[in-house]
Amino acid sequence: MSFGNASLCDEVDKKLIVVLRDGKKFIGVMRTFDQFANIILQDTIERIYVGDKYSDKHLGVFFIRGDTVVILGEIDPDKEVKEKKLTKVSWEEINLAQQAEREKLQQMEQTKRRIMTESGLTIDSILNLDDF
Amino acid sequence: MLPLSLLRTGQGHQIMVELKNGETFNGYLVNCDNWMNINLKNVIRTSKDSDKFWKLQSCYIRGNTIKYISVPDEIIDMVVEEEQVVKQHQPASSAGRGDSSSRGRGRGRGDGSGGRGRGDGSSSRGRGDGSVGRGRGEYRGRGRGDGSVGRGRGVHT
Repeated sequence: MSFGNASLCDEVDKKLIVVLRDGKKFIGVMRTFDQFANIILQDTIERIYVGDKYSDKHLGVFFIRGDTVVILGEIDPDKEVKEKKLTKVSWEEINLAQQAEREKLQQMEQTKRRIMTESGLTIDSILNLDDF
Repeated sequence: MLPLSLLRTGQGHQIMVELKNGETFNGYLVNCDNWMNINLKNVIRTSKDSDKFWKLQSCYIRGNTIKYISVPDEIIDMVVEEEQVVKQHQPASSAGRGDSSSRGRGRGRGDGSGGRGRGDGSSSRGRGDGSVGRGRGEYRGRGRGDGSVGRGRGVHT
């Protein structure tokens, strides 16, 4: 079976977590895939983590375009929660928390930028590359 | 079953498409192709921060701008059913294949035109191999004129 190819064959019908380029994480059972890594997830949930808090949103069957996939791997979502001692919060709460975290990061980035520009360095942000 | 065939099965159903830029489109899937380009109708377009909404009668989305698509749960079952239907029709569709790979069938029939074979051929393939297959069979039959071979393979099918 192994020809030196990285294949998704072994992951079919397993529960996977899929991380997209925008940072979203989907957990579901992978039913099928193709050569582009387009994948179909069944019983999908979207899970957001902020610190030690998390929240899930049920989404059903999901078609994910391959070129947006960064990582996928097997996961047991309940075990993960237990082992990492995560606490479940509401979807609204996690969204707010995520927003706050983003703003904080953005602010840090700006400060860093300012300091670097002041000391004569300019850096092009690669953060916005994904916006198209 | 490939992901894109699932999408094709979803034609006529309500889906949600999120683009790479974060906008979402909710609407009925009218059509889609091998590049994942899709046609939607009765669409509601939502801005990235879900604070603006637009109503569109129809729209076309280029496949490569899509991030993901949410499809109704029942579509997976429908794909399975469709595949079973396709399998049931396999003997018929194998007539189509006959022209490329299993020419034996064609030959067999061709012989038939010679006399013995045709009876054989038609009875064993009465299942409904297309008339197409028969036509082809005649060509080759004439060319090769090997009755026994043709018939033998014919029976296999």
